[in-house]
Amino acid sequence: MEEQLKGTVTPLASLFPVDEAQKAVQRVQEAISEKEKELDRLKGFIADNTNLVNLVQRLPDELHHDIMARFLSLLCVPFGKAAFFPGRLVHTNEFMVLLGEGYYTERTAKQTVEILKRREKMLDSQVDSLKANVHDLKAEASFFDTTVAEAAEGLVEIREDYVEESSIAEQSELDGTKDEDEEYKRMMSRLDELEKEELAAEGEQTDASDSDDESGEDDHLTTTESENETYDDEQALAVDGDNQSSEYKQTKPNSDENSNQTYRNRKVRFSEESLTKQPQQPKFTNTTANVLSDEVQSQIDFSKNSNCTGLAGQLASTDEKSSSKSLAHKHSISAEKSSMLPEVKEKVEALSLSRNEVPAQLSKSGFDSRKAFTGSIVEHNHNLQVNTQEQSSSSSQTAGSEPSKPVSRFKMQRR
Amino acid sequence: MGSSTALKELQRELENKANDLSKLQKDIAKNHQVRKKYTIQLGENELVLKELDLLNEGANVYKLIGPVLVKQDLAEANANVRKRIEYISAELKRFDATLQDLEEKQNSKRDSVLKLQQRIQSLQAGKAKA
Repeated sequence: MEEQLKGTVTPLASLFPVDEAQKAVQRVQEAISEKEKELDRLKGFIADNTNLVNLVQRLPDELHHDIMARFLSLLCVPFGKAAFFPGRLVHTNEFMVLLGEGYYTERTAKQTVEILKRREKMLDSQVDSLKANVHDLKAEASFFDTTVAEAAEGLVEIREDYVEESSIAEQSELDGTKDEDEEYKRMMSRLDELEKEELAAEGEQTDASDSDDESGEDDHLTTTESENETYDDEQALAVDGDNQSSEYKQTKPNSDENSNQTYRNRKVRFSEESLTKQPQQPKFTNTTANVLSDEVQSQIDFSKNSNCTGLAGQLASTDEKSSSKSLAHKHSISAEKSSMLPEVKEKVEALSLSRNEVPAQLSKSGFDSRKAFTGSIVEHNHNLQVNTQEQSSSSSQTAGSEPSKPVSRFKMQRR
Repeated sequence: MGSSTALKELQRELENKANDLSKLQKDIAKNHQVRKKYTIQLGENELVLKELDLLNEGANVYKLIGPVLVKQDLAEANANVRKRIEYISAELKRFDATLQDLEEKQNSKRDSVLKLQQRIQSLQAGKAKA
């Protein structure tokens, strides 16, 4: 799949001719040496300054200094160009300090030292900036160096356009070729991932459900109770054959519109079981995984509520309809357990009815019914948004780690 | 025959332009130097100002004028330095403006020189063919 992405291959040498790069290296090196000279100069200033500070600090120790006594250290009074004569330094605590620009001021030794210290600070800051400069230049030089080396080696640069949802292309590609085995493997690995995340998320969720109100906990009950039944039914459905499982595939995406955390949880658990028990049914697991991924996506923008759980459960029951299960029975169960609004129930019933009439319907009708279904969900959604805030937060973690795949399947179906 | 005279004219023009360009470049380099000097002076003056601000009221301040140190009032010295800083900043601004101006001129000159060169080349090529 990757091979089909558009890309360009250019040898590095054509982008950066070797001799040009070498010239650049030379230039940068020159700049570096210049800066380093400057740095040396500044360092010389700093050394001078510290020497001066030492001298100034020492001078007032004595009332006067015999300059000739320091003859060996070459401190004597110059007289003209050729001669020196011995002298004495008196007033050892009086300094005439050049501030710059021809301004002098009388200072004591202590004050002079302060001035000198300030100057030192200035010099230090200059040295720092220069060092940073040199560092940058060196980085540049090393970059050029490596470029030269790479160009000489004949390295090529490969550029590919970044396709934001590359997995869409990938997925549609897969579907087009009907490469089910590969997809199955992929889904398996993905399910493993989800499993782990699920375990992690469940730990958090138990915390979250504590702070949830009662309706949230009811949901958990509902889903777990209905889990076994749906499991059996859907297993049977999967065995039923191609026709029905394709139908199943069609119906499944409906539920992703109104998915919620608990429903997803159940699905994950369910698919785990089915995987371990009947791993020879790739098609079935595929569809489940699709639903899963779709749900992961839809959970981001879809806020969950408790009624959604009921809807989801009912949806599962509509699936079972095709495998000749009693719908009414299912309805009553979910109606009891989730406090669903009647209008929504009606919608679902209508949906399942339509499904009943045209059991082997293709994607068109699935689309329509889904649209109707989404509508009902939307008008219904805002009531209970607060309930499951925490669930959504925990689920968003899992969703965040699998960014692109869920979208793709969903969008693909729309096309 | 006509083409050769045109060629000569063009070459003369090119020479003039190239001279102008080099003159401009010299100007720019000079400007850069002066500007650098001024920035150094500005830094020095700022240092002086800082030190003068740190001095206490009674401190003796001298200014070196020629070979002699002339005693100055601290306030006066302070004012002088401030004025000098102002002047230098203004000067720097002016230099920036002129530098920009000169660089623009340089670019336009360079373009015209390049065009002239191309024209001469094409003329010569035409001549060679003919």
